[in-house]
Amino acid sequence: MNLEKLLYDAYGYTEFRPGQKQVIEQVLAGRDVLALLPTGMGKSLCYQLPGKVFPGAIVIVSPLLSLMQDQVAQLKKMGEKSVIAINSFMKPEDREKAWNTLGTYKFIFVAPEMLVQPYVLGKLNALGISLLVADEAHCISQWGFDFRPDYLRIAEVLPKLGNPQTLALTATATDKVTDEIKHYLKLSDPFIYSHPMDRENISYDIRKFDNDHEKLEALMNLVAEYGGPGIIYAGTRRKSQELAERLLALGIRAAFYHGGMEQQDRIFVQQQFANKELEWVCATNAFGMGVHIPDIRHVIHFQLPSSIEGYVQEVGRAGRDSLPSLATLLYAAGDERLVESLIMDDLPERHEIELIYERGEEAKQLIEQGMMRETAYRIISYWRERLPLQGTLNQIERLKIEKQRQAASVRGLAHSSGCIRQYISMSFDQKTPGIPPNCCSFHGIDHSLFKGNRKELKASPHGSWKERLKVLLPI
Amino acid sequence: MRFDEVVLAIMRAVDGQRTVSSPYHLIKGKKSGQTIQDIGYFGLHPYFAVLPKLDKQEYLASIDRLQTQGYLIPDDNSVRLHRSAFDLEIPSTPLNGWKYRGNENRFFARLSLVVQTMSNFMQGQKRFDPVVTDETVQTWAKAYLKRIDFRSPAVQEAFKNQLESSLALAKTTEAHKDILVERLSGYGVGGLTWDQLAMEHKLLPIDVKIAVVEAVHAWLDVLEEMKHPMLAGLLEGIVQTSALTESAKRTQSLAERGFSLKQIAELRQLKTSTIEDHFVEMAMNDPAFSFAPFMEEHLFESIKRISVELKSMRLRDIKERLPEASYFQIRLALAMRGGVT
Ligand SMILES: Nc1ncnc2c1ncn2[C@@H]1O[C@H](COP(=O)(O)OP(=O)(O)OP(=O)(O)O)[C@@H](O)[C@H]1O
Ligand SMILES: [Mg+2]
Ligand SMILES: [Zn+2]
Repeated sequence: MNLEKLLYDAYGYTEFRPGQKQVIEQVLAGRDVLALLPTGMGKSLCYQLPGKVFPGAIVIVSPLLSLMQDQVAQLKKMGEKSVIAINSFMKPEDREKAWNTLGTYKFIFVAPEMLVQPYVLGKLNALGISLLVADEAHCISQWGFDFRPDYLRIAEVLPKLGNPQTLALTATATDKVTDEIKHYLKLSDPFIYSHPMDRENISYDIRKFDNDHEKLEALMNLVAEYGGPGIIYAGTRRKSQELAERLLALGIRAAFYHGGMEQQDRIFVQQQFANKELEWVCATNAFGMGVHIPDIRHVIHFQLPSSIEGYVQEVGRAGRDSLPSLATLLYAAGDERLVESLIMDDLPERHEIELIYERGEEAKQLIEQGMMRETAYRIISYWRERLPLQGTLNQIERLKIEKQRQAASVRGLAHSSGCIRQYISMSFDQKTPGIPPNCCSFHGIDHSLFKGNRKELKASPHGSWKERLKVLLPI
Repeated sequence: MRFDEVVLAIMRAVDGQRTVSSPYHLIKGKKSGQTIQDIGYFGLHPYFAVLPKLDKQEYLASIDRLQTQGYLIPDDNSVRLHRSAFDLEIPSTPLNGWKYRGNENRFFARLSLVVQTMSNFMQGQKRFDPVVTDETVQTWAKAYLKRIDFRSPAVQEAFKNQLESSLALAKTTEAHKDILVERLSGYGVGGLTWDQLAMEHKLLPIDVKIAVVEAVHAWLDVLEEMKHPMLAGLLEGIVQTSALTESAKRTQSLAERGFSLKQIAELRQLKTSTIEDHFVEMAMNDPAFSFAPFMEEHLFESIKRISVELKSMRLRDIKERLPEASYFQIRLALAMRGGVT
């Protein structure tokens, strides 16, 4: 089979990106594959193209609702019609309809919590699955920064689906996580493709300050001197809002983006950003996985990320067009305290664990009453089905230690006195990458490359509704 | 109307007789018997389900403001307004929540997608990220666009002109219309978020949300009248023909076939109290509703008389004076008296 021709005919791309062809060949040959490809390299293509060849359906498990919707939109945009996403937020009648017409779809995106329902399993089984894809497969790792207990359930349903051929995709996995993925997804004799996750076109800059005040001033200078389009990552929702307000006050076009906003508003911000109506988006890590605006030039971390994996995901939003891009980490003395408190806040506390063990399903109501966090509930109710109370307490204790290790490695990043690129690769157990020009602040960056390319943004249509209508529908 | 004014308008109607959270349920469009029957008792039709996604925190923030301003007196049991709350001038509103039931959101989602598609095609862009991700709306919009032959420049022009002339006729302020159109997206132009709109118009985010609902309701009133085939198409299934909730409708049809309240409850495997709620809903909505199967004429008259005497709609107050009446009978009688707007 001529894969290049298939690629061109199907999607109009003239060549494969590194790794894609190797992965697709093995998938087509019927092997389980684990592909570690850097952010933005085109992992989705690794199941899209096989979809053109395999007779049955491609079932993709995706960790986030927003991510799932993104992928569906992207596929549709590429001209793919037979795509559908099934999640628990669908209206019952829509879901009903989806189930009844499932056979007509080639690409079926399923949220992991849906996958375990017997009814869903039955439907999928009747369908004949050619390939099961675990996207963002690192979410299966209990130790990972992005653990989703529901991902572990994939393992439980595999036999019920007749152990289909599996493709696991991720951009961020250490050796430990790779082993976990292999183990939980029961990949038998998998072909593992591991591309160095280093992104050569990204220059890493770290700047340190004595206090918050100086750091904030530095940020204001940065956005004035360097051009967007860029993302500023803030540690909390409130901070993302505050930073956006500060930029706006300086007359810089910015908006905030976080998980507390309704979906429509999040779409609006993404669109404004893609349209170049905005220069900066101040965001929490909700603006991460799956964002695929090609020409983001600058990613600034205003607060320390909570893990190196998270950092790589977020920085990975930059330069998806392969052009030089800058990643700036701003650090003020004492910043690690915030990270540590955020990490600890995320972990279920003893009283939450005990409550869930006591009340089971009922504990769900406590979320609404604000007495329990949703993530805590999700994680604990998973373990409750499998472990006695003490076991879970131990489990969470181990998780805490692991998180602290991750925080320590982020601290190491901020304080490293060597090459940043090498530090990152080492944290992923990868061999030292080459040193490209403008590698990092240790090796030196020619900042004129990134400075002063602020483009005039086109004015967004203000004025009366009639004027805006004219801009929307110019006739 | 600002959000706080919506809350106050409701509170003025239920002052002393309902809890502080009852306006919240009404604004969210809770389909409980209590909420539905209050709409009729107190004439609260405009405000039903105007913000189905209203967040409890946002509502509590409004309560906080009203208390700080002295309009609302803190009270654990029920709404207690200060006199000043009654002197306040509250603007009239095009809101018509009971009629649109939150369906205006579906209308607006369709419109957003249709405008975005036309905008892109007009400017030679055939591929774009849809601003609405809901599959049902996407499928609907696709069929609609095809039906009106949206690629034809003549159609595009007519569509735009109709949008403009109908919105011009809508009985709401220009500022509301500005906000409404800023929620639309097109080629190279993204819709504005609630926070962006709030900042631009110097309002609270929750106030801009209400502004959009008001504008859409006012616009829908015009579109319904105009009966213009192209825009009227967007209203498909938006305006309910029956004012009853789905479940009450099923009860109604069984009642029409002669089943008694008890039989309906058995047939539908629902609690009698639920079916009672349905009858109260029917009493509220149907001018020809007859109380005869449920009580004697003189009991009906007594309930009405006592409610007037006591100046109260409180079931408990009336029950105290008329122990022989059941709560259901009282609710039914009061519902029939209601229906005022
Ligand atoms: N061979 C190719 N030639 C040109 N463009 C490609 C090719 N493969 C993928 N792309 C494009 O690259 C972009 C990024 O692809 P994709 O979203 O699959 O990345 P990803 O590896 O999944 O990233 P992430 O880790 O952020 O999820 C897409 O817009 C896609 O269309
Ligand atoms: Mg991806
Ligand atoms: Zn370096």
